[in-house]
Amino acid sequence: MTNLDTGTPPEQAERKPVRFIPGQPDMWAFVLFETLVFTSYFVVYLISRTQNRELYLQSQADLDLRFGVFNTVMLLFSSWAVARCVQASREGAYRDALRDAFLTIFFGVAFLVSKVLEWITEIRIGNTFTSNEFFQHYFFLTSIHCVHLLIGFVVLGVVVYQLWSPARRSQQLVETCATYWHTVDFLWVLIFALLYVVR
Amino acid sequence: MSTQTGSLASRFVWNFRHNPKRELWFAWWVIVVFYQLYGLLFFVVTRVQPPPSPGWDTPTVVQWFGDHHLGILAGFGVVFLITGMTAPINALLAYSMRRMSVSPIFGYSYLIIYSLSAVPGMLVMAIAMTVGALRPDRDPALIQWLYDFAFLSFSGTMGVFMIGSLVWMAAVLIDKNRVFPKWFGYLNLCNALTEVVVAPAWIFRRGVFAWNGAIAWWINMVVFVVYTAVFIVLLRKMIEREDFGTGELPDLPPKAQRKQSSSVGAVQ
Amino acid sequence: MSATFNKRLMFVWLVLTAMTLAYIWLDRSADEDGVLNASTVVTVSAIVIALVKVRIIFREFMEVRHAPALLRRLTDAWVLIIGVCLLGSYFIGMAVSH
Repeated sequence: MTNLDTGTPPEQAERKPVRFIPGQPDMWAFVLFETLVFTSYFVVYLISRTQNRELYLQSQADLDLRFGVFNTVMLLFSSWAVARCVQASREGAYRDALRDAFLTIFFGVAFLVSKVLEWITEIRIGNTFTSNEFFQHYFFLTSIHCVHLLIGFVVLGVVVYQLWSPARRSQQLVETCATYWHTVDFLWVLIFALLYVVR
Repeated sequence: MSTQTGSLASRFVWNFRHNPKRELWFAWWVIVVFYQLYGLLFFVVTRVQPPPSPGWDTPTVVQWFGDHHLGILAGFGVVFLITGMTAPINALLAYSMRRMSVSPIFGYSYLIIYSLSAVPGMLVMAIAMTVGALRPDRDPALIQWLYDFAFLSFSGTMGVFMIGSLVWMAAVLIDKNRVFPKWFGYLNLCNALTEVVVAPAWIFRRGVFAWNGAIAWWINMVVFVVYTAVFIVLLRKMIEREDFGTGELPDLPPKAQRKQSSSVGAVQ
Repeated sequence: MSATFNKRLMFVWLVLTAMTLAYIWLDRSADEDGVLNASTVVTVSAIVIALVKVRIIFREFMEVRHAPALLRRLTDAWVLIIGVCLLGSYFIGMAVSH
């Protein structure tokens, strides 16, 4: 917690909010940069889509919105859990924080399992990475996002590791990792809208 | 001995003979010169970058070789000469990892990975292209073969560079000597991830994932250029801060006192 | 203090989930008997809703609400940039395709 206004007594906290950057500013640089990279992938997708609307619409019909909604809700749960984890750890409630960290992992795994099931479903009906342009983008975006999710599990592992022993428990590291995880969430929010809903 | 008052030439000679960081600075300048040359040779002289399309038919490919005949032979001729410059470059990068508090394994792994990388990253393309351009009356099917061979090896073997980036990332994040800022560790991850994205180039002859595709080449190249520019600047800072110790690398003194840290300036 | 934070987080989650469920309605509105139709309204709404969700995630979950002005402005700028890029590429693509 990079505290820019230390020493403010709690009663005054409401009047003069303490401003801090959650976690390492370095992670924020990564988040912003990676978001730009993903945005460029989205731009490529949208432009190709507009050049070939019929194909994309027909292919999109093979996607099941329920999978997409379920995925999004799982990640929203996971973000909620990791946000609670950060709060709890900030207040020293480390057992609660650990529980929330494990909850985050649980929801992340739920996302992963449902994603794999969705891929298998699509492949069963004959839609693969090489089927057509739409499915190229679908498999690419969901896969590269999944890679970020898997990295997210490593990051959450760091959170658990930090919270476990009183000898560690770096609040800054916990916040840094949470920031990464939220990125996985909001990138999915965008991917979901673009792949499943956009017409 | 303060040689601030000497001429540029005499300061340079003094540094060449006495500056303890001279090898580091030499390696750094090699990086700068090498990447300028690489850019010039690949993008302007030979014009193999941005890559032409894998979707072309054989006559078009033969035509392309014909149009670029002289550029390919001259440009890659120079590439063959300068390949050795990659040695001090990789050495300096590995050195940065040795200066960190992490195990020497990181530096050694990086060296091994990257000493292999010049093969697909430069040489195979150079060889295949010059062979293709050498005899314009060669069987067109063979020329097409060389064309595919060159570009696939160049774009498709990103795995080497990706692992190298990950090694450097891990070293930077674990390092306690503050050799590089943590955001550079994360930038290595960004670079590695965009290189993963090049893998589908093996499958597609058209579209955004082909070896010249918007995603597989253009976006990847933008990130790579940013990444390269950043690490060149950071390596310079590292050399300026270097104290040849094993602990934390000290920060640079504020600008007013910086005159003595320039590469051609005197060192106490 | 922590009870209010917890309540606030839950409320944020509820809003985000509700917006997600709104997509189901939006999705159905674009189709006729399972046949998908192109629709600028649906596209723009989908993107705008997503951007609002992203901003909420930045402000509430990622605690940008409590961050210094620079970070608040940067994240808002980013939401704008994403919006401009997405909507821009859609409209430019549509214009070029005919």
